[in-house]
Amino acid sequence: MSSTGELMAQKPAATEPPDTVTIPLAIRAGVDISGPVIYLTDKNNLTVEGYLSADLNEKRSLFLGGGYSNYKYSQYNYSYVTNGFFIKAGVDFNLMKPQTAKGKYWAGVGLHYGLSSFSYEIPELSHDNYWGTTTASLPSQSLWSHFIEASPGFRAQLFGNVTIGWSISLRKMIYSGGGKDIRPIYIPGYGLAASSFSSGINYYIIWNFRYKTIKVLIKKDQPEEPEEETTPSTNTGSGNMQNLEP
Amino acid sequence: MRSIRNVLNAVILAGSILLAYSCTTGACFDETTAYMKASLFLNSTGKQTAPDSLSLWGAGMDTSKIYNSQKNLKQALVPLDASSGSCSFIIKISGVYDTLSAWYSTYPHLLSKDCGYTFYHNIDSLHTTNHKIVKISITKNSVTTLSEENIRIYY
Repeated sequence: MSSTGELMAQKPAATEPPDTVTIPLAIRAGVDISGPVIYLTDKNNLTVEGYLSADLNEKRSLFLGGGYSNYKYSQYNYSYVTNGFFIKAGVDFNLMKPQTAKGKYWAGVGLHYGLSSFSYEIPELSHDNYWGTTTASLPSQSLWSHFIEASPGFRAQLFGNVTIGWSISLRKMIYSGGGKDIRPIYIPGYGLAASSFSSGINYYIIWNFRYKTIKVLIKKDQPEEPEEETTPSTNTGSGNMQNLEP
Repeated sequence: MRSIRNVLNAVILAGSILLAYSCTTGACFDETTAYMKASLFLNSTGKQTAPDSLSLWGAGMDTSKIYNSQKNLKQALVPLDASSGSCSFIIKISGVYDTLSAWYSTYPHLLSKDCGYTFYHNIDSLHTTNHKIVKISITKNSVTTLSEENIRIYY
């Protein structure tokens, strides 16, 4: 089939583009650089994150990501400490045409499921009212949370096996693990837990390891036939109808 | 050139979103104290009625009054002592003194990241003297920051 396709492509090579395009499939390892950059400006917020993905074909890739977060927050009436790990798994969809992407560019969306295992602690909290100041602390608790994530983004090959890109993460909480009164304010991998929706952005440096190449058939756009050519056939049809009439 | 422009646009868009995201700051505008909400009822009519005047303070805290000869007050906001399982109040309705005591449990509650924690209570029981107050009743045990009546004082 492919040889026939190549022959068909070679025959009109002088005037038409080939029918197939060769796409390299790769296994990718990406490291997020936004977490460490944010940590440089905010020492209370460290997130280290990365991912592995494997192309299934020119459109779809399996995605497995993970990371570690250490988050601290304090204000006049309480302090909060959390740390834990998270993993994300799902599928990335490349929405670019294969002949445009060429295995070098990716513009699409990832759909992921996220699972976070973490512990948090409130070392001190205080509350003032008429009777004075009441202080307390809440010991460390371990929790599981899970969420879903849509990650639209863009990646482009920089040179050799190195690609850079970014993605926006739009997350919807499924289960935060907390109770009605005592619940986490930050969940590793999800972000601030105040809302059932959170967002974030990642910038990635990615290494590509090509393991296979495939030939993808290009869907050619059908050229529009000029009206002058279609008009006679219509006329012919109607002419036939007229011929059938007695 | 066109692809470079597209990439630049994408980078600017992403940067703007990141900037907006990172600059989101919050402030606390919510009620942060869980008061025991005590509605005042005229026993003879059974209707919620403000007494001629009402004064209220914690037992042993005469110099710091919660209400001082307050008029037109139909519901008093009574703060409970979160560091203790009970507290008492001196309540003066139309010049007559009574003592109101409450027994309760206390637990911390997260309001929000910006507001932090407060203490909620569960009322176990109430006791009052009956100089002006005829009776008291609990309508909702859980004392929270919501605007929900907790007890009724009939005078």
